[in-house]
Amino acid sequence: MRFKRLVAFTLVMCVALLLPAPAAHAQTADDLFAPATLNDLQVFMNTRDVQQLRDTYLENTYYQADIEWRGVRVRSVAIRSRGFGTRNPVKPGFGIDFDRFAAGQRFLGLQSLVLDNLWQDGSLVREAVTMALFERLGQPAPREAFTRLFINGDYQGVYSLVEAVDPVFLSRAFGDPGGYAFEYHWLNEFHAEYLGRSLGPYKELFEPASHESASDTTLYLPLHDLFREINAAPSATWRESVERLLDVREFLTHVAIEAFVSENDGILGNWAMNNFYLYRPSGSTQHRFIPWDRDNAFLAADTSILLRAGDNILMRRLLEYPDLREFYLQALERCAREGGWLEQAIVARANLIRAAAYADNRKSFPNDRFEADVAFLIQFARSRPGFVVAEVARLRGER
Amino acid sequence: MPLLSRCRFKGQLLILLATVLLSAVLPASSSFAQDSGSSPAAEKPAAKAAERDWDFRWDNRPSLRYGDLLRIDVRARLVTDMRRPDAAFVDNDTSRFDIARRRIGVEGEIGDVADFQIERDFADRRRWRDVYVNYRGIDRLELQAGQFKLPFGLDENTSSTNLDFVYRSRAARLSPGRDPGLMAHGRVGVLRYEAGAFTQDGDNGRASGLPRPSSGWTTAGRLLVQPLRSTTSVFEDFQAGVAYTSSDVQSGIADLRGPSALRDPFFRPEFAVQGMRRRVGLEMRWRPGPFSVQSELVRMASERLGQSVEDLDLPSLTASAWYVHGTWVVTGEKKTAGADEPKQPLFDGGFGSLEFAARVEGIRFSSAGLGPPSTGPRAETILPHRDGAITLGVNWSPNRWIRVQGNLIRDTISIPTGGAPLSGALVDGPSSSFWSRVVRFRFAL
Repeated sequence: MRFKRLVAFTLVMCVALLLPAPAAHAQTADDLFAPATLNDLQVFMNTRDVQQLRDTYLENTYYQADIEWRGVRVRSVAIRSRGFGTRNPVKPGFGIDFDRFAAGQRFLGLQSLVLDNLWQDGSLVREAVTMALFERLGQPAPREAFTRLFINGDYQGVYSLVEAVDPVFLSRAFGDPGGYAFEYHWLNEFHAEYLGRSLGPYKELFEPASHESASDTTLYLPLHDLFREINAAPSATWRESVERLLDVREFLTHVAIEAFVSENDGILGNWAMNNFYLYRPSGSTQHRFIPWDRDNAFLAADTSILLRAGDNILMRRLLEYPDLREFYLQALERCAREGGWLEQAIVARANLIRAAAYADNRKSFPNDRFEADVAFLIQFARSRPGFVVAEVARLRGER
Repeated sequence: MPLLSRCRFKGQLLILLATVLLSAVLPASSSFAQDSGSSPAAEKPAAKAAERDWDFRWDNRPSLRYGDLLRIDVRARLVTDMRRPDAAFVDNDTSRFDIARRRIGVEGEIGDVADFQIERDFADRRRWRDVYVNYRGIDRLELQAGQFKLPFGLDENTSSTNLDFVYRSRAARLSPGRDPGLMAHGRVGVLRYEAGAFTQDGDNGRASGLPRPSSGWTTAGRLLVQPLRSTTSVFEDFQAGVAYTSSDVQSGIADLRGPSALRDPFFRPEFAVQGMRRRVGLEMRWRPGPFSVQSELVRMASERLGQSVEDLDLPSLTASAWYVHGTWVVTGEKKTAGADEPKQPLFDGGFGSLEFAARVEGIRFSSAGLGPPSTGPRAETILPHRDGAITLGVNWSPNRWIRVQGNLIRDTISIPTGGAPLSGALVDGPSSSFWSRVVRFRFAL
C-alpha cells in the first residue's frame, strides 16, 4: 500500500515537473492603464530635489528620479512640475520623460507619462470618465488610470496616470508615429480666428509634441492655412477647402461629446478654445482634435447643447450646413445613449479610489466633498441624457 | 586700402596700426624730473628734501620712484582677438571680434622687503584681478596676502603676456584660478615651494548663471625642483613639479566646464556635487636657448556624497587634462629672457622676434559607475566627454610692447549620445572635428 502511494506521489511530482510553468506575465501599457486597477507608483528622488521642486513648483526644471511599478524599476527618468491652473507646491502635478536623461529609454513602451494631481476635481474621476467616453465613442483620447503615488515611500495622494500625447500615442491611436501633434496653449481668448500671415502667432499657441526640430514652415504653415480657410469669405468652396484641412465630422463628434458632458473648459469653453491637441497625419493636411485635461467637465446637467457654439467661428460656420448640423445632433444622441454606461463608469471609478482618496491628505477638497461630487456626477449621468435628447428634438423641431 | 576696405573690423584695425606705430616711436628708457612747482608743500624744507627723491621716469613703462624706498610702475594691457571657428556653438557666434582684456594696474616694491600688485580689468565681469602684497623680509620665506592665483598649474600661473598661445591649455581650465588667501613661498636650494590657504576654490569654476556650490577654505600647494639650477649645463633651466588643491564643496551644481579650443563649452556639467574636490597636477618645463618644451597633467575629482536619487553616495565626477607644447624662437632670442623682447625691434634695424609653437592636448570628463549611463544631474555613470586639440601657432613681437599671435586649431570633440543635448554643446552633432582660426593683437606696458 505504501509502495503504491509512493509510486503515485512520484508520478504526480514528475507530471508536475514536466508541466510547463505558467508563463510570467509581461507587463504592458495596457496593464498600467487598465481602468479597473488602482496602481501603486513609487518615485525615488533626492530629498533636496523634492524640496527644490516644491519650492520652485512654477518652474519646469527637470529632476532625475527612479520610478518603480509592480517591481519594474526605471532609472534616470526626468521628472518636473507641470500644470497651468493646477500647479501647486502641496500636491504638484508631474510630467515624466523616460528618455531625456537616458537615450531611447522607454517604460512599457511609453516615452513619457503625466501624473495629473486632480487638483480642481472634488470627485477625482471627471477626467478619467470623460476620456473613457471619448474612447467608447471612437474618438482617440489619452488613456488614464488611477495610481497611489509615493515619493521616497511617503504617500502623496491619488493621481491620474495620463498617457502623454507623443509619437508613442500617435502610433497606438492612429498607427502613425510620424504624425505631427501640437499642444494648444491658452494665451488669450481664441475662437479660431485667422492670426495673419506670420507663423509666429501660431508658434506661440501650438507647441509641437512631435517633430520638435522640424522647421517652422513644416510645422506651422499647414496650421496657418487651416485657420485662414476657416476665416475665408463665404463661398461655395468654403466647406470643401476646410474639409481638406480638417476632419470636420471628427471635430463635430469631439464637440458633441464635450457638450454632452457639459465641459466648461474645452473647444467651446467658458474662456474660448482650450485643452486640446491638434494632430496632422504624416503625409496629410487634414487635422484632427485630441482631447486633453477634462477636469472641468460635468458642469451642470441642463447646459445647452449649443452653449457658446455661436462664439466659435469654426463651429458656427459648420452648423450652418444642415447635414453637418444633423450630424452634430446625431452625435449628441449617441452620447445620450451612453447614460447607463456613464453612471457605471463613475460609480466603478469612485469605488476604486475611495479608500485612497480618503487617505489623500494633500488633495484640495475634504472627504465629504468627494462624496458630494460623486453623488452629483451620478445624478448628472441619470438626468443629462434625457435633457440632451429633448434639446435635440427641440432643435430639430425648430427647423 | 583694398585690404582695409574688405575688412569687417576696419576701425579696430586702424587703432591697432596706430598703436603699433606709436609704440615704435616710444622711448626705450627716459627719465623725467618731476615738476617741483606742483606741490604746495614744496616750500617746506623737509618736503623739499623728500621732493629731491621723487622721480618719475619712463622705464619701458611709466614708473614713479621715491629713492630706493618705493617703486610704482603703471601696467596696462589691451588685447583684442579675431576668431573664426568652423563649428557653431549654441551660446556663441561663429565669428567675432573680441576685446579680450582691457587692464590697467600698478605694481611695485617697497624697499627690499615687499612687492605688490593691483590690477583691474575693464573687459571682464570679474574686474579685480591680482590685488596682493608680498612680504620678503624673512630668509627663504615670503608671505603673500590678498587676491591672486592659487599655486596650482604651470600654464595657469603663467602671466597672460607670456603665453605661447592665444588661449591657455585645457589643463589650465581645470586649475583653480584666483581667490583671496594667504600663501607662503620661497626657495630652498634646488627646491621652490608654494603653500597657502584660500577662501574658496578659485574663480575658474565659478558659475555664470548657475547656482555655484560654495566651497569652504581651500588648501593648495606646489613643489618645484630645478635640479641643475646651479650649473651652466643646457639643463640648467629644467624644472619639474607637483601640485595639489583640496577643498570642501557644499551641495550644488559643479560648474567646471569643458572648453573647446576657443573656450566655448562643449561640456557644461550640470551634475550635483558635494564633498571634497581634489586636484593633483604634474608639470615639467625646459627652455634650452631659443627652444622650450612644457607639459602638464591635471586630474580633478569632485565627490558626490549623498547625491543619488536615494540620497546615497555617487562615484566622484572626475576630470583630467594634459598637454605637451614646444616653441622655437627662429630669430634666436633666448626663451628664458622672453621672446617678446626682441634683439632687433621693428624700425630699429630689425624685424622683431618670430616664434613658432605647437601644442597637443586633451581633456576628459567622466564618472565610473555600475549603473546604466545617463545624462541626468545625478547620473551614477557619466560616459566620457572628450576634447582633443592640436594647435599650431606663430608669435611675432615687433617690439617689447606689441605682440601678434596667430593660432590654427584642430578640435576633435566627442560627446556620448544620450538624452537631450547639453546646453552649450555643439550644435551639429555629438562628435565632430573642426578647425578654428584666431588672431590676437596685444599691447602691453
